[in-house]
Amino acid sequence: MGLLSILRRLKHSPDQEVRLLLLGLDNAGKTTLLKQLASEDVSHITPTQGFNIKSMQSQGFKLNVWDIGGQRKIRPYWRNYFENTDVLIYVIDSSDRKRFEETGQELAELMEEEKLSMVPLLIFANKQDLMTAAPASELAEGLNLHTIRDRVWQIQACSAITAEGVQDGMTWVCKNIAVPKK
Amino acid sequence: MGCWFSKKSKRKSPEKEPTTTVEENTITSSSNANNIALSSNATEDPPKQYSWDKREKVDPKDFMLTGLKDATVGRLPGKLNGQQFVIQDCENCNIFVFDHSATITIDDCTNCCIVMGPVKGSVFFRDCKDIRCVVACQQFRTRDCKKMEVFLCCATQPIIEASTGMKFGCFQYYYPELAFHFKDAGLSIFNNNWSNVHDFTPVSGETNWSLLPEDTVVLDHVPAPDPESEFKSVRVSAEASRSIVPMTKGGRRKDSDESCLFLFFAGDYTTANARKLIDEALGKGFVLVQTKEVSMRPEDITRVFQNNAEGLQEWITKGPVTALELNGDGVVEACKAMSRDMFSGTKVFVSDNRNTSSRDVDNFFNFADMQMGL
Repeated sequence: MGLLSILRRLKHSPDQEVRLLLLGLDNAGKTTLLKQLASEDVSHITPTQGFNIKSMQSQGFKLNVWDIGGQRKIRPYWRNYFENTDVLIYVIDSSDRKRFEETGQELAELMEEEKLSMVPLLIFANKQDLMTAAPASELAEGLNLHTIRDRVWQIQACSAITAEGVQDGMTWVCKNIAVPKK
Repeated sequence: MGCWFSKKSKRKSPEKEPTTTVEENTITSSSNANNIALSSNATEDPPKQYSWDKREKVDPKDFMLTGLKDATVGRLPGKLNGQQFVIQDCENCNIFVFDHSATITIDDCTNCCIVMGPVKGSVFFRDCKDIRCVVACQQFRTRDCKKMEVFLCCATQPIIEASTGMKFGCFQYYYPELAFHFKDAGLSIFNNNWSNVHDFTPVSGETNWSLLPEDTVVLDHVPAPDPESEFKSVRVSAEASRSIVPMTKGGRRKDSDESCLFLFFAGDYTTANARKLIDEALGKGFVLVQTKEVSMRPEDITRVFQNNAEGLQEWITKGPVTALELNGDGVVEACKAMSRDMFSGTKVFVSDNRNTSSRDVDNFFNFADMQMGL
């Protein structure tokens, strides 16, 4: 599931190399998501100090997924990874209500970035397995997602640790990689 | 709460409704499949139901401690049962979470003592100061914290950010259900990276974190529950000999140049055997430097044990190995003798001589560190 199925569907994409970028605050669940996509063990994950990358290749097509550390101190380095991104996947800890404003702010700034203009956006409302998790609809409203007019976007509720909802989000990613850039 | 997008002004009516529905599609995974155009009937289909849509609704407040002052509060064993827990805006409190949980965040707390039972995911302190705590978790994180003393069992490398005056010691605690709570949280008592902390905001000329003195008495810093409180029924101990997590020297300077690798292959009594060996070795005056519980594959055996790998490959199939590094003058001969006397029927590996034992230790623990990183 996950990365392999994306790769299979990419055979019909005009691009040879597809780049997914995983961003979000620290502790959002980005690395857990990456490991889940690669069908690897998710029970022992360490806070990301720089970045993680998973690369897969199949029949001439290459898929790279970049997972970048989200601590406040290292967010200025996010821009080093924007170039040639085909889909931006933004991960939110839906149970960390204290930081909704902060994550909304970071997302807003990403939407203003020239190098990410028109790049399709998938928002994973992660950690839905937790009791205080806000539903995706509440997050969508609080983040004012309906004001995003310059790109295709989708919000998907998920639990990266159980994998529930993850494949649904990646299905949307697949469909929207094929959208040609300007 | 207001608008979270404080920078952007609200725009005209939207073209697209936010949705969590998933459109039905007919893409198959056969190699001859074409990308079939999808019907835009998302709004007509009933939204997909996930487990969180179907589960019983709970009051988030049942999982939170908010705005308490001068109180002894928390959760008794069995009252949290693996759920998330949130602690915020507390002052001068003694907080006892005597159960396993999914994740715990602690925000804006001052002058509190906190004991946290095993946490399956992360423990995250933000904007806290003057905290003394006992914590067992998968990940340990802080941001914007000041003056904390943490007796820690952490399965991965602890991280701090924009925090100062952070002091760390080895987890040292016991209550009757604690061993079960470790299992419930999926944490191993042998995987404890308490002493190697990563600082995201180091300041040149200063250190934001340090290790507590080895002889620190835990209960002087994190007192036991008030005998008049609801926690009086919980028989707590913070004695080193009773700690569920074995005390390890970690990054502290070693007393001797001689170390020994003592490794138990998976069996029925591995944990009990490892504890027995540790007790025996400590009784003889040796120290436990570090421990690891990790799965090995046949190729790992060859790489780690090299010339001594013969016959070991088949022993790693039953489960993870439990490895200990013991340190002290004469420790290798002592370990060999203990292995003969106490574990003659058990599958173990013990360093053979003090000239090659450091290499055994390095080979194994380097392998374990790599295995347990990404």
